[in-house]
Amino acid sequence: MTADVEPHPTSQPAGVVREGLAHRSGDDELLAARLVARRKPGQWISAVAVLVIVALVVRSLITNPRYQWDVVRHFFLRPSILEGLLLTLWLTAAVLVVSYVIGIVLAVMRLSSNPVLKTVSFVYVWLFRSVPPLVQLLFWFELASLYPKLSLGIPGVKTFATVDTAHLFTALLAAFVGLTFDMAAFSSEIVRGGLLSVEAGQTEAAKALGLGKGRIFRRIVLPQAMPAIIPASGNLLIGLLKATSIVSVIAVHDLLQSVKLIYSQNYLIIPLLLVATIWYIILTTILSIGQYFVERHYARGKGAASGRGFWQVARGNLPLFGRARQDLAGIA
Amino acid sequence: MIAVRTPAAVPAPRSDGADDGATPLVRVRGLQKRFGFHTVLDGIDLDVRRGEVTVLLGPSGSGKSTLLRCVNHLEKPDAGFVEVGGEIIGYRRDGRHLRELPDRDVTRQRARIGMVFQQFNLFPHKTALENILEGQLAAGVPRKEAAARGSELLDRVGLGGREASYPRQMSGGQQQRVAIARALAVRPDLMLFDEPTSALDPEMVGEVLGVMKDLAATGMTMIVVTHEIGFAREAADQVVFLDGGRIVESGTPADVLANPRHDRARAFLSAVL
Repeated sequence: MTADVEPHPTSQPAGVVREGLAHRSGDDELLAARLVARRKPGQWISAVAVLVIVALVVRSLITNPRYQWDVVRHFFLRPSILEGLLLTLWLTAAVLVVSYVIGIVLAVMRLSSNPVLKTVSFVYVWLFRSVPPLVQLLFWFELASLYPKLSLGIPGVKTFATVDTAHLFTALLAAFVGLTFDMAAFSSEIVRGGLLSVEAGQTEAAKALGLGKGRIFRRIVLPQAMPAIIPASGNLLIGLLKATSIVSVIAVHDLLQSVKLIYSQNYLIIPLLLVATIWYIILTTILSIGQYFVERHYARGKGAASGRGFWQVARGNLPLFGRARQDLAGIA
Repeated sequence: MIAVRTPAAVPAPRSDGADDGATPLVRVRGLQKRFGFHTVLDGIDLDVRRGEVTVLLGPSGSGKSTLLRCVNHLEKPDAGFVEVGGEIIGYRRDGRHLRELPDRDVTRQRARIGMVFQQFNLFPHKTALENILEGQLAAGVPRKEAAARGSELLDRVGLGGREASYPRQMSGGQQQRVAIARALAVRPDLMLFDEPTSALDPEMVGEVLGVMKDLAATGMTMIVVTHEIGFAREAADQVVFLDGGRIVESGTPADVLANPRHDRARAFLSAVL
């Protein structure tokens, strides 16, 4: 936010002009003059206004006793909370892995030349993107009333095994299936976009070199699709992490549910919600940092983007907390 | 060597890809290709002898690139066939049918035919050396051996020491030379060049053509689509002029370039010379 700028260093000393060009009186003064950048009072005013608002918010966070930070601290590392946290984590991980496997298959189906596969993939994405995950969750949870028994076998020929749907579809499985089917629809669109972003010439060159189909996908197309897939997937993953909190509706013992169980007994609602909130923020922060490193890994051969260090990017995004070059600001 | 006499005294036509001197390496017969209602190739017959350089000339849209892409089955013909080393590309004869080969076999055929593209199409996420490794690894060459050959090929195209450079860090001319090295890595019998200098800045055309002339001098069989008449005059054994999906003129460079008989060829040549 400095208003003045140092005069530009010039390659030739002031006052020395290439021979043969007409010299006019007054040129010397112009050459010797100091360049002064335009003042920007608006920038100062807006910065001060925002800082005042931030200060007020921070003050109330510290001074308002009803946040009950001591209670937050007391419950933060409670075993039952950590158990809920663990379930949130592995549910997120399981849903992510399975939904991306399904998503990649759906994307490849959609891009194939087979009209049946194309259509099925499109309808799947259309259907599961249209239903809110919470509604889906309840549906899977109530599957028993639709199909009381599920059997494995060859239709009309032989049945190998039959189970009660209510037994099989516990709250946790319903949560896993619902979130996975929802995520798969979104991830397939992200993967499809990534695959489409790779030029057709890449596949042709690989074919001409004698690479087989699977090899072309794994070694040529997918790695080049990754830079387009990762940022959107990072967003989706963070959304998923938070979306897992809806499983508390069907009483799955996740982070939010573990907090709810405690405050339903002691009525310390706000501080316990803060416990969950802070954990979600911590997890999201870790995921964002992880995303940065994955993105950097896939930026190979892309020039500038791969050269920026972690702290450079951090300072670029948080210029108040350290000096950073202007051109680094605004990058994720 | 033991001579085996077949009951019929006529020697059987050789189909194992070996060269007996008389059979051309590439035989194109009756090749047709349509995109929708537009006929791009309208019955192409062409022979390319082993060790010779054939240059395809013609206005844009005349079907040069499509012809080239049919030779390694990047395009499927609608009629006719392409034979390389006695093997029909992309199909197998089954009585009165030509049945398309499974991917695995097409992949094997393509490995014997190198191709260089107008836009280089180097893999941007791989270094120059890794680009050259890819085809060899697919062919089962051990990594160490492949890397040694890769460095040697980079040397040969004048880019020794640039193994670790990514395509983005190289000029267009350098990228195209890496692309040529990449295509040569799997020791192809035939090299296809699809307008290799058309995307280059003028000052880089020479370095790429130089590498191609060196390659021709080693006896590599090449089919080159280009607008570089100078290259055709110096390096080609055969010049073929296409127009509207047909070959309207072919012969030695001296014949075709110096006194074209066909009006279209004459008009084209006077425009580009």
